[in-house]
Amino acid sequence: MHHVVLERWSRRSSPLHRSDPRAKIFVLLVFLIVLATTHRDLLVIACALGGLLMMGIVCSRLPLAGAVGRAAVVLPFSLAFAAVCWLAGDPARGVYLAVKSYLSALAVLLVVSTTPLPLLLRGLEALGAPRFLLMVAQFLYRYLFVISEEAQHMAKAAQSRGATAAGMVGQAARFRAAAGALAVLFARSYGRAGDIHRAMLARGFQGHFETVTALRFRRSDVALAIGGSLAPVALRLAVERLT
Amino acid sequence: MDVLAVPAVIGIARQAQRRFDDSRVPLLGVMGAFVFAAQMINFPAGIGTSAHLLGGALLAFTLGAPAATVVMTAIIAIQALVFQDGGILVLGANILNMAVVGVWSGYLPFRFASAGRWRNAAIFSGGALSVLVSAICALAELRLSGVPAKALGVSAAVFLISAPLEGAITLAVVKALEAIQPGFVRRPEPGRRLHASLLAVGLTAIFLAAVGVLFSSAAPDGIEKLGLVSGIAERARTLVATPFAGYETSFLASSWMRKTSAGLAGLALIYGVCLAIGRVAAARKRSV
Repeated sequence: MHHVVLERWSRRSSPLHRSDPRAKIFVLLVFLIVLATTHRDLLVIACALGGLLMMGIVCSRLPLAGAVGRAAVVLPFSLAFAAVCWLAGDPARGVYLAVKSYLSALAVLLVVSTTPLPLLLRGLEALGAPRFLLMVAQFLYRYLFVISEEAQHMAKAAQSRGATAAGMVGQAARFRAAAGALAVLFARSYGRAGDIHRAMLARGFQGHFETVTALRFRRSDVALAIGGSLAPVALRLAVERLT
Repeated sequence: MDVLAVPAVIGIARQAQRRFDDSRVPLLGVMGAFVFAAQMINFPAGIGTSAHLLGGALLAFTLGAPAATVVMTAIIAIQALVFQDGGILVLGANILNMAVVGVWSGYLPFRFASAGRWRNAAIFSGGALSVLVSAICALAELRLSGVPAKALGVSAAVFLISAPLEGAITLAVVKALEAIQPGFVRRPEPGRRLHASLLAVGLTAIFLAAVGVLFSSAAPDGIEKLGLVSGIAERARTLVATPFAGYETSFLASSWMRKTSAGLAGLALIYGVCLAIGRVAAARKRSV
């Protein structure tokens, strides 16, 4: 599955993998702001920024084709709007939409696939994102696959009972059956959450996650933060100066 | 600019953090996972097509609206970060549309009529409204950022179909839930006065919906003309546009500086909304 690939990538080893998540998040923010506010010469700047991202991907020893393809997941939605803009006689805006959404997705992909999610969330927390939300997000990610698997099992069970065979039962009955399945899934998730919380209390949960290692902001991270955030700004200024 | 808005939107949770106790963390996380997983269960919707639950309203009815906002925010963030779904540049706008405006506008009918004759209607319209209002917001934002109105008509039609579907699914699931175990669907405490800021959020949602309708029905280049007529009108438009702008409003050839300041104004606005919601969350702290 898609997410598992990113998870595997994020556990590889490279200078970018080893650098502090806070530095990477900061560079990502600067990159996104530069990208989002670009309007003049967007295509040239986009090529330059895209090149920068490719360099990052190669440096972090990720498969280039795989990363480039995976970021395209964002495209169906933005391409639809781009096509609509095109048909409505504004092709430039359509291209802008597609280019911006693709590059931003690629940039996020680069950061996410060089930082394991728990570390990324810790970096976000250190940068001031609210702990409560991050803990919810972490639980969400942790149990996403558990609950999804449960849903898949239920869907398969319903199939093997013939519940989804078209024509055998009426639409209304199938609708009710699906609602019932969701209700059961809801109740099970709810119950599971209670169990999880009791187990956590039993293990001495104090309201926050303890981590094995502390985040360390090394000299190389300072270099990454400064160099990485200056690069897109410099590229953009250079392109705007030249044209 | 809503890259900047993200931390502000997240201000809700910062407020919530102080009030919700930690026992709710696993619950909210697992219920977020549930909403993800719910996409795998298909509902028949007419000939050969199927639909699935989006969940904002259902969460609001069961966990309460502040908690639902936090869960939906986490869902949208994970979706954008891990699944490259939705896009990071529109993350702020998405959270605003679905987690804030969608959840709260879906919660309102339920808040007013959670018992009695109108209960089913309230649940249905809550589900439908949560989709419809967030869709209208999204379309209005796209319109404001310069996507032609004609283009948005098609998507509006899609949302008009999916809104009652979400309503029907939400109602069916709520009914089924109550059949399994009554008590999941929480009833807002009767006799409690509606908090002023909750009302404000609801009114904002309705206002946004009205703005959306206005923009989609107005002459396509109305705003552009308005923007050119006078500097004041332009500034006002920018102010209105920025909190919701997925992409920058690019047809005004404005400088970096002005855009940045407009973005900051939007940021401040959103932060204000978040603070208000945080207050509401504080006022309605309940144990599960």
